[in-house]
Amino acid sequence: MKLSIGHLFPELLNLYGDRGNIISLRRRMEWRGMEAEVTEYKLNDNIDFSKLDIVFLGGGSDREQLLVCKRLGGIREAFKDYVEGGGVVIAICGGYQLLGHYYKLKNELVPGLSILDIFTESGVGRLIGNAVIKADFSDVPIVGFENHGGRTYIGDHKPLGKVLFGSGNNGSDGGEGVIYKNVIGTYLHGPLFPKNPHLCDMVIKNALEKKYGKAELAPLEDEAEYKANSFIVNKYTRK
Amino acid sequence: MRRIIAVWVTKFLILIGRLGGKGGSSTPGHFALKICPNILKFLSGQVRDGIIAVCGTNGKTTTNNLLCTMLRAEGKKVVCNSLGANMLEGVVTAFASSADLFGRLDADFACIEIDEISAVKVFDHFIPKSMIITNLFRDQLDRYGEIDITVDYLKRAVEKAKNITLILNADDPLVAAFGKKTGNPCVFFGVGEDVGISLNETKEGRFCSFCGEELSYRFYHYSQLGDYGCGSCGFSRPEVRFEATEVNISEGLSFNVDGRRIHADYRGFYNIYNILAAYSAASHAGAELKDLQSVLGGYKPQVGRMETFFIGKPVVFNLSKNPAGFNQAISSVSGDGRSKDVVVVINDNAQDGRDISWIWDVDFERLKDVKAKTFTASGIRHCDVMVRFKYAGLENTKDTGDVLKAIEDALKTDSEVLYVLVNYTALFSTQKILKRLEGDYKSGKGGRWE
Ligand SMILES: [Zn+2]
Repeated sequence: MKLSIGHLFPELLNLYGDRGNIISLRRRMEWRGMEAEVTEYKLNDNIDFSKLDIVFLGGGSDREQLLVCKRLGGIREAFKDYVEGGGVVIAICGGYQLLGHYYKLKNELVPGLSILDIFTESGVGRLIGNAVIKADFSDVPIVGFENHGGRTYIGDHKPLGKVLFGSGNNGSDGGEGVIYKNVIGTYLHGPLFPKNPHLCDMVIKNALEKKYGKAELAPLEDEAEYKANSFIVNKYTRK
Repeated sequence: MRRIIAVWVTKFLILIGRLGGKGGSSTPGHFALKICPNILKFLSGQVRDGIIAVCGTNGKTTTNNLLCTMLRAEGKKVVCNSLGANMLEGVVTAFASSADLFGRLDADFACIEIDEISAVKVFDHFIPKSMIITNLFRDQLDRYGEIDITVDYLKRAVEKAKNITLILNADDPLVAAFGKKTGNPCVFFGVGEDVGISLNETKEGRFCSFCGEELSYRFYHYSQLGDYGCGSCGFSRPEVRFEATEVNISEGLSFNVDGRRIHADYRGFYNIYNILAAYSAASHAGAELKDLQSVLGGYKPQVGRMETFFIGKPVVFNLSKNPAGFNQAISSVSGDGRSKDVVVVINDNAQDGRDISWIWDVDFERLKDVKAKTFTASGIRHCDVMVRFKYAGLENTKDTGDVLKAIEDALKTDSEVLYVLVNYTALFSTQKILKRLEGDYKSGKGGRWE
């Protein structure tokens, strides 16, 4: 079995070791005898969403994000169709903000893709630090590092998880990230997948099921990953 | 009178600090400023020929110390914060410790390394005559947010100093664009030819700072450093006044600059930039640098810059605190033909930056072919390093939070050399361990590693 992973604009959106997420996806498939074909798209490359099984958007600085959103305007419809049709998307930090209607900065409004009914506003000070969240799909928490000036409000959407430690989407409503169909948006990097193999596997599984109808993932030996995960959980949530 | 008391207190606290065995310190300066807020203005005002500031992500301390050594070799008296305490308080400490008990300072120059974020504060106290910017890489992201924020802080600093001459790395598009935007006089240094060391790694700032187009490169050295140009607006690597050519990095470092051949017995390509930066600033300040060769020969790179120990076998110790620095260290490890072990120590204390996601931007994959006997992950975040090792496909890995144990175990193998790569807060504690082990070995207590 094989998945095609589209890494969108890594030269612009790769702020916090985002590359680690791609490495994780690739290795965890390879270890199971499956193939991951990763295509890196540059800003002006043509993107055919129908050929992709996973779309990955990382984080960038405000300046870089502005460049990306100008470009993405032109492919919004195709991207939206991909999402509504159950396409898998992982969007982190800046990439997450781009999925919404807009990111309102002090003197500027960065329009988003309106893929999801969410929006972001800049707040006073950045929300920075280790974070631990609890998602519905697993008893093992998701850990990561957040660093964002924007506060994201997800309206009626479901958050990826409940904040156990850290700030989450906006520091006030206790939610972190968003999950909609097969789209996951989150502020957590660290990067996200290496220390959260359960989340990485869920994404792989979703993509396989979408493509092949059914998928069972063989278990892997994940001692090192969960040790790194529980180090953060223990340090920040066990008193 | 307050000034003199402030100087006394600072000197007293430095003495106490030394007795306590602490390295570079900002505490004395902190109290000096409390007692006399204009102490720095007063002391720095006595420097006769000018203050040279050194900023930039990597290479500040080495560049600053080299510059200071070059100027001293000309017979100049120089104030220098050589231990790398580079925030406002550390700068105050450096000046106060050079003053006499009456608050008088006898100095021709001051070479002052300043943290990029602190420069804007320091420039309220004095305006340097010139300022080096070595490079602008990703570093300590959770402290600064983003590299754009760092650039913004530097911009605010330079706005206070319209006459300051900027001495800039032409090979770094972020630095060169910065210089161009300020309108200040700029003097550029750079490496003018392809040295054949480029890696596939994250390149911050590969997009034009003026129009946002992707830059095209004639060649790369590392990170975003190289010979670049923008096809859209015409921004390109500026004309270089101090250019290294005929570069040889196979045995130490050799290159031509300014019509002379320079040789230094250091490892690491990046040291060419440190030498070039110091040379440019010294030359700009009027130094003739006749004895340059002996200056470079006599200069000892400071703590943890490819520092070597002997503990039954050579141990190479290097500070590697961000992807650019770490990838350079990995180049040195993989370029060393000897059989080896590698220990990586990563902490996440406040001074390191709490966020260690950058280890995923380091090309650990390149260590796969190194065939080390062991790779050991250590430090506070050894678990994360271990995961990084695993996904890089390294074999013979292990991890322990105990740095002493990590080093002792790695010394026991029959490899010819041990590499110990650490980030910032692990620097002094690990150096202490290595010094002790080296002492034990020399006094005959080290037989167990044979
Ligand atoms: Zn341009």
